[in-house]
Amino acid sequence: MATESNKITLVSNDGAEVVVDRNVAERSMLIKNMMEDLGEAAMTQSVPIPNVNESVLKKVIEWCEHHKNDPPAAADDDSDSRKKTTDIEEWDQKFMQVDQEMLFEIILASNYLDIKPLLDVGCKTVANMIKGKSPEEIRKTFNITNDFTPEEEEQIRRENEWAEDR
Amino acid sequence: LADLLNLCTSQQLSFVRQYVDPLLKKDPFTSLPNEICLRILSCIDDPKVLARASQVSQRWRELLADDVTWMKLCAKYDYDRRMSENHHSTPPFSTLRPPPNPIHSSYFESEHPTHSYPGATAVAPYMQGNSRSFDSSMSGAAPRRPKIRSYKSHFKQRHLVETAWKTGGQNIARHITQDQGVVTSLHLTPKYIVVALDNAKIHVFNTEGNQQKTLQGHVMGVWAMVPWDDTLVSGGCDRDVRVWDMSTGESLHTLRGHTSTVRCLKMSDSSTAISGSRDTTLRVWDIKTGLCKNVLVGHQASVRCLEIKGDIVVSGSYDTTARVWSISEGRCLRTLSGHFSQIYAIAFDGARIATGSLDTSVRIWDPNNGSCQAILQGHTSLVGQLQMRGNTLVTGGSDGSVRVWSLEKMAPIHRLAAHDNSVTSLQFDDTRVVSGGSDGRVKVWDLKTGQLVRELTAPADAVWRVAFEEEKCVVMASRSNRTIMEVWSFSPPEDVLY
Repeated sequence: MATESNKITLVSNDGAEVVVDRNVAERSMLIKNMMEDLGEAAMTQSVPIPNVNESVLKKVIEWCEHHKNDPPAAADDDSDSRKKTTDIEEWDQKFMQVDQEMLFEIILASNYLDIKPLLDVGCKTVANMIKGKSPEEIRKTFNITNDFTPEEEEQIRRENEWAEDR
Repeated sequence: LADLLNLCTSQQLSFVRQYVDPLLKKDPFTSLPNEICLRILSCIDDPKVLARASQVSQRWRELLADDVTWMKLCAKYDYDRRMSENHHSTPPFSTLRPPPNPIHSSYFESEHPTHSYPGATAVAPYMQGNSRSFDSSMSGAAPRRPKIRSYKSHFKQRHLVETAWKTGGQNIARHITQDQGVVTSLHLTPKYIVVALDNAKIHVFNTEGNQQKTLQGHVMGVWAMVPWDDTLVSGGCDRDVRVWDMSTGESLHTLRGHTSTVRCLKMSDSSTAISGSRDTTLRVWDIKTGLCKNVLVGHQASVRCLEIKGDIVVSGSYDTTARVWSISEGRCLRTLSGHFSQIYAIAFDGARIATGSLDTSVRIWDPNNGSCQAILQGHTSLVGQLQMRGNTLVTGGSDGSVRVWSLEKMAPIHRLAAHDNSVTSLQFDDTRVVSGGSDGRVKVWDLKTGQLVRELTAPADAVWRVAFEEEKCVVMASRSNRTIMEVWSFSPPEDVLY
């Protein structure tokens, strides 16, 4: 019974059941709070995760598994660790080498599940994809249509000229 | 599908890739809610990246217009901070922050309707006198601009100023005087640039560097002066302390009493000046009535430097001691003994006293009990330049080096090989150190990294004095036996600002 009580079952929005260690699942503040609210009752039934599909949920759990022993995130949301875009640890960088659809899904899921460190890694990954690129290169990176008229584009270019190195 | 792809030639596969690749790409800013988009943007700390991103599409532009991102960037770059020590009492920027994760700046604005942007705050009250005047004159030129509407434009303005400090800037005035004299004192105030010379003259310029008045009356070199609004108090070899009205050029009082050269002068309020002299005394003057209120006797040799905070004046002397005096009681509270040689420079912020001496050391003292808290060693010659701000002390010596010290750790942070000869002038703020040397060079240093940012202006024969404020730097130097003044401006041109 002891081992069993340390496992919980999550159900994705496409009906897949994923069994996971409680301490892994509790990287999600949403699940952690739910567990605390429901107490032992929650252990016996499965927990629906209505906003996340199976593949994303598995991916998120893979991250939680790897990071299950991390110290709890700093309470201060604006702490310095969040501010540096470059510092993504190697494992996380590899983990984030997925197509953009999946990347954004992970970001959305981590936001919904309230896993701040994963959300940060996701946001930093996207930020790094933006850095060092010209507007045209950014459009290519994300397949974005340039919806400015040439006049608008020129005006905006001039508005932003100040930030370019001179 | 896998089987099908296995049958393809590499040419066909690359066609497939070209076709599929864009389909796998998605615009994050249309796929994700605003809250997360702004979170992504808050990971970016390079304004260039943000500026480029705003040129991607309408949607990106709209997101990048959100001022919270720029507000955070201002905070990251410390652009909220003002340079002047007088601003330290204003509430820190963090109190202006909106609640966590605001999605729209409009939310923030409606919650804080009375809040004004950091760059738009009213000019801080001009509290000068007891410190070097450059500490108090930061808001000189900037406030004439229209109010800053957003953090983005605030950031932009500060960014342009910083960039100008690094690589640009304009020499807006170059005044070649007929003098060959040594510049003994230079002060920037919100209204004036004031220069004193060893040829008895004092020149008053407006903030743009255009000459307005020459104050004539001293018969020998002027060695000390202190401005306060339109008033200037000066002293020198002729033993007189003079009070001037800089707006009219009129000499208001001649205060007599010292029996030798006046070496240092400070003001504690609009009507009180304190002078230190080679006659070993300090005198407290009421400059409104022209009367000497007190003579502070105790030093055994020339009084070289002094600093005032509240009712306390501290003085450094060639007798190797510094003394702590009560202005109102007119008596010596403590004598700080320890230096082995003459004291040439002193700084005092109310909590700590720093002294620089010919014995090459810098000492930190507790004004309340007179104990020496630390001896900072490293200079190899006279320490004649010294400025203290918060927990940072910067010193300059005749050895040509400039040193940055932490007063928390009482340890050196940077050692800058600044000049080939004596450091003649030194000033720093939160961002930079500017030093001038008798090698004729003016150097700008990054306070945090200790790196040389640039050399300002062409090398001269000697640099007498340098003083700067947020967007301006004034250099007094000697070129071809002429004393010249250069005013450098780092203000962005008006037309690029809005």
